[in-house]
Amino acid sequence: MDFPQVIRKTYSVCPICLERIPAQHVRINGDVFLQKKCVRHGFFSSIIWRSNIQISEWIGNLPEIKEGENLNCPKGCGLCPDHKQDTCCVLLEVTSRCNLNCPYCFADSKDAADPTLEQIVDWLKQLAVPGKTLVQLSGGEPTVRDDLPEIVISAKQAGCQYVQLNTNGIRLGEDKEYVKKLSEAGLSFVFMQFDGMDDDINYQLRGRSLLDLKKKAIENCAAYQIGVTLVPMLVPGVNTHNLGEILRYAIAMSPAVRGVHFQPVSYFGRAPVMPLDEVRFTLDELLFQIEQQMEGQIKLYNLIPSRCDHPFCGFHGDFVVMPDGLEALSRRDVTVSGTCCGSEQVSADKNRAFVARRWERQKLSGALSSCGCSDVQDIQDMDYFLQRVKSHGFTVTAMAFQDAGNLDLERLRRCSLHVFDHGKFVPFCAHYLSGWGLKN
Amino acid sequence: MAERKTMICCKCQKEMKPGKTTFNYLGHSFYTDILKCPECGEIFISEELVRGRITEVEMQLEDK
Repeated sequence: MDFPQVIRKTYSVCPICLERIPAQHVRINGDVFLQKKCVRHGFFSSIIWRSNIQISEWIGNLPEIKEGENLNCPKGCGLCPDHKQDTCCVLLEVTSRCNLNCPYCFADSKDAADPTLEQIVDWLKQLAVPGKTLVQLSGGEPTVRDDLPEIVISAKQAGCQYVQLNTNGIRLGEDKEYVKKLSEAGLSFVFMQFDGMDDDINYQLRGRSLLDLKKKAIENCAAYQIGVTLVPMLVPGVNTHNLGEILRYAIAMSPAVRGVHFQPVSYFGRAPVMPLDEVRFTLDELLFQIEQQMEGQIKLYNLIPSRCDHPFCGFHGDFVVMPDGLEALSRRDVTVSGTCCGSEQVSADKNRAFVARRWERQKLSGALSSCGCSDVQDIQDMDYFLQRVKSHGFTVTAMAFQDAGNLDLERLRRCSLHVFDHGKFVPFCAHYLSGWGLKN
Repeated sequence: MAERKTMICCKCQKEMKPGKTTFNYLGHSFYTDILKCPECGEIFISEELVRGRITEVEMQLEDK
């Protein structure tokens, strides 16, 4: 066994009392752990990176959080002047009710009274920056509200450029008329929970079979030109073996499906247990497994560290679905900025424009039909490329949320996904941060 | 009726004709028809093409 090696210093919280404490990244036999010690509650360690990819290459020369910086983080969260990123996407909870009762849920949904439509309209007016805002309607499960189409209309009237729905897809599969109303209201695109191609996975994670309903939801959204991005939550031992199948299905369902957005499980909300390292799925494992399970169709170098948020928070890959497979557009060694790592920060505005361009189904003009078909099917033909990338653009993205065990304030201060909470914009992982109770 | 404009190569004094031309950007290659001198191969890239499709290709390829 090698000597443990401290490779980075940062700050975190005690997972018991949630007080801000120093932390460090420690490499032990190739794996990297976030380790910290609370004077009251003891020592804690969480794996953050396994040895599939060089961590230093992934993060680049990003500066560490220094002593004296971000002192109010995370307790004072609500975007202070020390925060290092603007809002890319703002999440608004429109209900805390849900039609599932999953063992894992970041929002820990419950049967509380819904905010009124008037209240939500007021919030939308507060949060919207006309022509810019991407608002994600979330919950709970937003589709339990019959007046969701009115909320979408109100968001557009308030000036939101994009309105995204975060949903389990049940109602979208069961109620086509509801999907039609959402489309007419101006819904831009859907993030749909989609954990696997096997209902055993749905039973384990969601307590019931769901696959046929999810497929129906995709069909219904396609009928009204609403783009769907599949969002699998990945839990080791449950569905991490299935991500290649999910990707292949998503690609086959292009252009109705616009991409896959992976979320390795985090232990907050309704999963507030102190997890062993074995039940964590690190970002580099995800990257490695995508390449393995896609059997060469997606290469590691096609997946680029997040430069809007922190590189440890996620990645993105940009593709075009061709009749005979995927054509990769993104390469880590060829970027506009010339940097291959996460050190070059991209603005929230640019990031938002990119994801919206890919996730929203676009009305096509010109010689090609909406299926993107033409006599010429050569991606190098400029006209064909421009049509095909708009009709069949496809993203492979990931976001690794943080919990009380692995929260890293260097990451949190670059967060661009903010929850709107009583007039404040709160970084997602700060908003849903929950302690793990007293240590035995 | 729109007037048909003829473009003459300033070196060869030959009329330029549309010809397949390849562009490279961020590791990708694309071709389209562009006015080209049949003699020396000099090409003329119109402002319309630069501001239109070429800009659009760049935007599509630039990662977030």
